[in-house]
Amino acid sequence: MTNQSERAIRSILVLGGGIVALSAAAVFARALRGVRVELIETAPDRAALADRLAGTLPTVHRFHSAVGLDEGDLVRRGIATHRLGSRLDHWSADGEPWYHVFGDHGLPVGAVAFVDLWTRARREKRALPYHRYSAAAAMAEAGRFVHPSGDSQSRLSSFVYGLFLEMEGYRDRLRAAADAAGVIRRPGRLDGVDRREDGFVASLSLAGGETVEADLFVDASGPSAPLIRAVGAAFEDWSAWLPCDRVVLERRRNPGGPLPLDRVRAEANGWRWSAPLGGRSEEGRVFSSAFEKAGGAGDAVRIRPGRYLEPWTRNVLALGDAAAALDPLHACGLHLAHSAILRAVELLPGRDCHPVELAEYNRRTVEETMRVRDFQAIHYLRPGRGDGMWRALAERPLPDSLALTLQQFEARGRIPFFEEETFDKESWAQALIGLGLAPRRLNPLARAVDSDRAAAGMERLAAEIASLTGRIPSYRDYLVRMAALPAKPISSRPGA
Amino acid sequence: MATAGEKQKVVVLGGGTAGWMAASALVARLGDSCSVHLVESEEIGIVGVGEATLPHLRYFVESLGLDEAEFMRETSATYKLGIEFRDFGRIGDSYLHPFGSFGTDLDGIHFHHFWRRLTAEGRDDDLFRYSMANVMSWRRRFQPPSADPSSLLSTYNYAYQFDATRFGPYLRSWATARGVERTEGRVVDVELDGESGDVRALRLDGGIRIEGDLFVDCSGFRSLLLGQTLGEAWEDWSHWLPCDRAVAVPCASPPGVIEPYTTATAMAGGWRWRIPLQHRIGNGYVYSSSHISDQAAQDAIVAALESEPLAEPRMLRFRAGRRRRSWVRNVVAVGLASGFLEPLESTSIYLVQGAVTQLIELFPTGRVDEADAAEFNRRTDVEYDRIRDFLILHYHATDRDDSSFWNHVRTMDVPDSLREKMEYWRRAGRVSKYTQGLFFEPSWIAVYLGQGIVPDGWDQRADRLDGAALESAMERLHGRIEDAVRGMPEHDFFLRRSGAAAGGTVQ
Repeated sequence: MTNQSERAIRSILVLGGGIVALSAAAVFARALRGVRVELIETAPDRAALADRLAGTLPTVHRFHSAVGLDEGDLVRRGIATHRLGSRLDHWSADGEPWYHVFGDHGLPVGAVAFVDLWTRARREKRALPYHRYSAAAAMAEAGRFVHPSGDSQSRLSSFVYGLFLEMEGYRDRLRAAADAAGVIRRPGRLDGVDRREDGFVASLSLAGGETVEADLFVDASGPSAPLIRAVGAAFEDWSAWLPCDRVVLERRRNPGGPLPLDRVRAEANGWRWSAPLGGRSEEGRVFSSAFEKAGGAGDAVRIRPGRYLEPWTRNVLALGDAAAALDPLHACGLHLAHSAILRAVELLPGRDCHPVELAEYNRRTVEETMRVRDFQAIHYLRPGRGDGMWRALAERPLPDSLALTLQQFEARGRIPFFEEETFDKESWAQALIGLGLAPRRLNPLARAVDSDRAAAGMERLAAEIASLTGRIPSYRDYLVRMAALPAKPISSRPGA
Repeated sequence: MATAGEKQKVVVLGGGTAGWMAASALVARLGDSCSVHLVESEEIGIVGVGEATLPHLRYFVESLGLDEAEFMRETSATYKLGIEFRDFGRIGDSYLHPFGSFGTDLDGIHFHHFWRRLTAEGRDDDLFRYSMANVMSWRRRFQPPSADPSSLLSTYNYAYQFDATRFGPYLRSWATARGVERTEGRVVDVELDGESGDVRALRLDGGIRIEGDLFVDCSGFRSLLLGQTLGEAWEDWSHWLPCDRAVAVPCASPPGVIEPYTTATAMAGGWRWRIPLQHRIGNGYVYSSSHISDQAAQDAIVAALESEPLAEPRMLRFRAGRRRRSWVRNVVAVGLASGFLEPLESTSIYLVQGAVTQLIELFPTGRVDEADAAEFNRRTDVEYDRIRDFLILHYHATDRDDSSFWNHVRTMDVPDSLREKMEYWRRAGRVSKYTQGLFFEPSWIAVYLGQGIVPDGWDQRADRLDGAALESAMERLHGRIEDAVRGMPEHDFFLRRSGAAAGGTVQ
């Protein structure tokens, strides 16, 4: 025998009452043979946004394949609809709406990036809005959807999409997946954390007097984060960069039917979103209590943006809002949880949770989280609006990594590289341009392409993309064609 | 000083490989934004023993629009699939660090974890036989990789072994035909701007004065602009990489098929290279002068030659380390002027190419922006630190105790970053992940396993599959690799067929 049998983790205990906890338990149980995975289902926490928001990013597919869920099945059951991205209104100085989608914009010419050609054309006043050069954005604008084409020559091949999830139905599917994978699942309430002499968690005491032991404890219990705090992880507050601390979330009837995008509207002291799912829509409002003292805040959930410095500390792994609480903007919460779960199972350390093994997990997770924060923070810290809270935010200092991004973009339209980047260069360009930021100088590389020739190519491309959407079915028809819409629409329920 | 809209005047100092690579790439990518003026001196000569490259050079050749076969003919190049290391972990051991991966992932789990599990369960197996590049090298066969990522034939890459003394002149004729101005002369003075401290002009012997907005220092070890003029501090790494001299001597090619790989053989006071080109074999002994004398090194390399020497042994001196920053004010140092890492993993030309690529991406659009320089330096730091650790590993991961040199490197303190990487690997066969830069997981796996560091454990997910089914899947994979390689032409034959051989093309 080798050291593997002494080193391997034999039992994992997951604590939490939401989607993140179920997701983690199901993935661990499916991936690891001979490991006991137990889930203590606690009462859901309303402030655990990763468990509650319907929007996801394209990483959801990788997670689904790891957990054994099928997109077609979820769509046919009325649990999932497709999400190309967002339309953002009132975020820019000129009031123009913009789009954020997960897809290519334009085409590079030789080694010259499209964004450089577009920036030049705009200066020459012969560029359409940036999103007009993206097939995915054109579909989003028209409220239409098709799956990406497998033919790399097609304009409709170079985008990806996330999903909107109806959380009640989705939770049932995840439960079934967890049960099938052998997760031992039962309700419970945490009463106390018992630590060993070396600071590791030895066991949890549950209400009713029971004690549960494990090699590894997963804290997926939302922002209260009792386990990761018990092992001494320190919290870093991000409210200077993500100033909104209140979220109101509700469900409404959605007579308009589903759409493959959400709408995100900025207002004086925050913003609202609306995500049209199948039978109903998710409506959210986000604001800063420092600027908006009252006003429909009765139902608001308090959030505190920030993160634990080491989301994996000793034998406690924090996931979801227990690891980092982000802003709801661009639906990143569940994405970060998915990514962390898949990384955790890939980098699963030995039973001793040696620091050198945890370091790699923490390095990558933290960098990923910080770049998501940066992407959200740019919307607040360099806003297109100058009213209400925005005026006070516009001059705040940026985190270093975001300052570098902004400096490089403003200097020459370049987006610097980071290792664990959720939002790729296309995403960053859409946001920076959408918020009204612009390079001060043209990238000198663009001079390699003749300006008239580039403009003519852009005109052709925009016309081609505009004509595409006419040939694409409406989203409702597409779902019908997928035989996906249930005969009876899902009944609307009051906000969870 | 050029304002935005005008052409920037770039002055490249130095006409070696670095200088001509920089000048060529700048004129190719930014010819509409800058003029390029290269200053070189025949008197000074170039180091030019760098004959070993990494696959990145393919993209450089491609991005200039050079014809690969012509480039190979002009530089007597052969194809290179990796580097064979002999006697590094222990005398008698050898392994080949391939340009390519080991096996194929199963369920998103890296292949070597399955291999490790089965060997722990008693299977006698060599991971290297699941590497296309290894099997091709062993059989001395070559054909270019497939672009189809689902094909087994896409799991390797290649570089060139070439005559570096011919690469610079080849690029020179290419670049001067595309507008790079060239001046012959020796720098006698560097003129600084009194206010900003920027370099304003070079003064050459014969009274020539060459002004510029941006200066690319490719002056080699002298580091005339960055080191001597701007005084950028030197960070010394010779305590980790003690080799500081090399003695080089080419010899005649032996009969038989040319090896599509380079060989590095560990020696008592360092190691020696063997690089098979079309027309000769390049050899050199890289050694530490505090552990072995020049004469002993020269005797050892001459004794090791497999055929008659084609020239007198030539001696080179260097020192491992780098300038703290590579871009300071309006001076960007590229190549040896910015730092030196010994040629054990053929990184010199790669570092030149990487710096030039970064310079193009961050090319000033007026006065140099400090933030651009900082970004360039941040990227350069990452490159150097990773390569440094990877090189040190080759020395440190050894059981050798047969000379004072090996005793020193085996027992020395290594950088914390490397110590942690080795510990991480030992625990469960994992390699810290990054996507930017050089030497990804397969490279680290090759050196760790090749030099005898077998991890204690593996990815726990690898336990899920049935052992017997896994074993037969691995055997099938190896069979497919052997079949694919058997269908490939021999290296020499492919050189002739592709038109890369100096002797002409065969159909």
